[in-house]
Amino acid sequence: MKVAVMSCIHGNYEALNAVLSDIDNQNADKIYCLGDLVGYGPHPNAVVEMIRALDIPTCQGCWDEDIVEGLNSCECSYPSVLAEKRGKLAHDWTNQVIHPEVREFLAQLPLSLRDENLCFVHGSPHNQHEYLLPEVDAFVAMERVLATGADILFCGHTHVPYVRSLDAGQLQIRVKSTGTTERDVSFSAPLKRIVNAGSVGEPRHGRPNATYVIYDTDADQITLREVEYDYQKTCAAIIDNGLPPIFAWRLARGLEFAERADDPTHVCER
Amino acid sequence: MQPLNITLVAGSIGAGKTTWIQQQVHTTAETAIYLSLDAGETAVDSTYLAAEVPGLTVLSAVQLANFLEHPTDGCVVYLELGFHIDLNSIILPDPMADCRRVAVLPPGTRHTEWHGWADVVVTGAEASITLRQPHLWRSALSGQVLDSASLNTFWYELTNGAYGTIQRAKGIFDVADGRSLYFDFVAGLPETTDMELNLPRWLNGRPDRFSGTEIVGEALDQTAIAQTLKDCCLDEQAIAYYQQQIKDLIEQQGEEVA
Amino acid sequence: MNDWAILSGIEGNLAAYEAVLADIKRLRQPVEELYILGDVIAPTAESEQVIQRVRSPQQNEPVPQVCQGWWEEQLLILHGLGRTGEPTELIERYGIEMVKTLWDAIPREMVEWVRSLDFGLFELDCLLIHGSSVSVSDELTPDTPAIQMLDRLMRMDANTLFCGRSGLTFQYEIQQGTVTSSMTTLDRSTSPQAIAVKPRQVVGVGNVGRLPGQASYALYRPNSNQVEFRTVRYGAGKGFQRASP
Repeated sequence: MKVAVMSCIHGNYEALNAVLSDIDNQNADKIYCLGDLVGYGPHPNAVVEMIRALDIPTCQGCWDEDIVEGLNSCECSYPSVLAEKRGKLAHDWTNQVIHPEVREFLAQLPLSLRDENLCFVHGSPHNQHEYLLPEVDAFVAMERVLATGADILFCGHTHVPYVRSLDAGQLQIRVKSTGTTERDVSFSAPLKRIVNAGSVGEPRHGRPNATYVIYDTDADQITLREVEYDYQKTCAAIIDNGLPPIFAWRLARGLEFAERADDPTHVCER
Repeated sequence: MQPLNITLVAGSIGAGKTTWIQQQVHTTAETAIYLSLDAGETAVDSTYLAAEVPGLTVLSAVQLANFLEHPTDGCVVYLELGFHIDLNSIILPDPMADCRRVAVLPPGTRHTEWHGWADVVVTGAEASITLRQPHLWRSALSGQVLDSASLNTFWYELTNGAYGTIQRAKGIFDVADGRSLYFDFVAGLPETTDMELNLPRWLNGRPDRFSGTEIVGEALDQTAIAQTLKDCCLDEQAIAYYQQQIKDLIEQQGEEVA
Repeated sequence: MNDWAILSGIEGNLAAYEAVLADIKRLRQPVEELYILGDVIAPTAESEQVIQRVRSPQQNEPVPQVCQGWWEEQLLILHGLGRTGEPTELIERYGIEMVKTLWDAIPREMVEWVRSLDFGLFELDCLLIHGSSVSVSDELTPDTPAIQMLDRLMRMDANTLFCGRSGLTFQYEIQQGTVTSSMTTLDRSTSPQAIAVKPRQVVGVGNVGRLPGQASYALYRPNSNQVEFRTVRYGAGKGFQRASP
């Protein structure tokens, strides 16, 4: 069976269409989405309607939560005051154009999804805002997967896809406690994997193409997919709809529009 | 009285006029004076040279007029002419009529207006792009303090074409930790020169010194450039906060040294 | 460098705190630093005096460095100064009447002091905190899964995490460990690499005031990374105040 996982569409309807076509060509049996359907991009309502129409199981992203709650993303995910101002513009614009039923839909999205030994979250199992970057310490990464009880943890939020395998994890512990004798404790874990599904609508890997992943359960194989699409259409729509034109320039270069994680495991206290 | 030792320096964008002048001043033991003609409200080159070249005095046009009335013996004067100044329309005061004219140009250029005008042609830096109608945009930012990370983002966008095709971009910026930074980009060279100017940190409110930027390019989106620069500026509260942090840090380090 | 004394959970018990201070003064090795990991207060009237005592060390006593605990956090929530809006945890654990009891126990003037406390302290390579960097309520015990203990240490890149939430004295040493990690991105793959864990530990520093007549706390020697637990017995009917290691 083939499971397609996508994330971080951010109102980019053109990209979503291209990815859905590619998923179709790959003969995927199931599709999961890791949230951030809206934010930054010019067609948030169309994206959500498409997801709903196809009944794609989706978990709530940090932008989805922000739009529901009327909050702004915490300043800790912005690398500069310039980025923070751009993020706020994007938030205000999205907040204005979102239809009420779309907002309601985003509000009822679950924080995580589960399918047998697979778990799906937006940021990390603990928090929608935590970035599980590739350079996170291997044991911290291991804790994140183990916390879900799953064998493979699918996450998004960073907008750069990867597959990380954590094998043969083991720890040796000695415990001393008042009133009991010293004891040794051993911990071990079988193969665990973290898979980041990248971003459909706001890629940050230096190219404008959409990214997502496919997990083939029979072959136990995970593939990163990169899909070209007519990003110039999205660029034109960004400008036509009054979003900051710099977003169009940055999309064409596969650069983040505003947010970027500086500190891998910083979690915002908001 | 000795005739005045005055050199006029002209040349194309990015050829290296200021650099050549800086080299001349370093090799001579005499007192040197610099003036940038028609710098307008921005004085990037002047400020840069004043900070980095000890022994160089930078004058304004008015100060130069005073100097010419009572010149000091053995003093050399360098007058830089921006690319946009019409060489034929310059009218020099009498004491300056007998001056040396130097043109700094990229290798391989011949038969230009500068060749007709100059006494000496110096070979400077390669030009990678030549715009048909270069447009100069400049803005003084004196008193503004910028967030470093935002400035870097803006500069990256500017020099990679987000706001038009850029041939040359120079700027002096005051940033949050009190330093004054000099940025210099020439199209064709991969790296922007970015360095801290030899000026004291400004840690007491809005800086009372020059900062600003000069940009030469085509199809410049002036509104976007101006707005983005504005978005990089910190408000009074933020300025006070960062300046206090740096002051605390310096105090701590001072204590440890003592 | 001299020893640290690390306490938690005075819980408004003045006699217990005095007993620990007396014990510290009797030690052969001088104690240079005194850390109090939260729960200085409890919903008791005596808490006010304990705060005063903590804030007024005598000449021959180290000046305590204090961070917030669970009770401090609940107090701040009641006064609208906490990280969450509603005192849900307080009500869940102690019932709705506790809201008023806690409110009445600590006068307003003390709330500013509580608010000024750090969430946690970081000294040398040690994190000193009530629960963990995740929250004040995060209770670490000898039975907490190893990978979770390691995560709490790694979040702050601490080699030692001193905590007091559980009230237990324990030393949980992660002595060694490895995991093999490999990575594939769009443009390249890295081959499997064995990553080793640096030895780290979590130390429960006991509880000073909850158990009448008996206080426990921890001593730490940074030079040699040695941990020692002390139990102090105090109060009427015990004769001299006696301490046992």
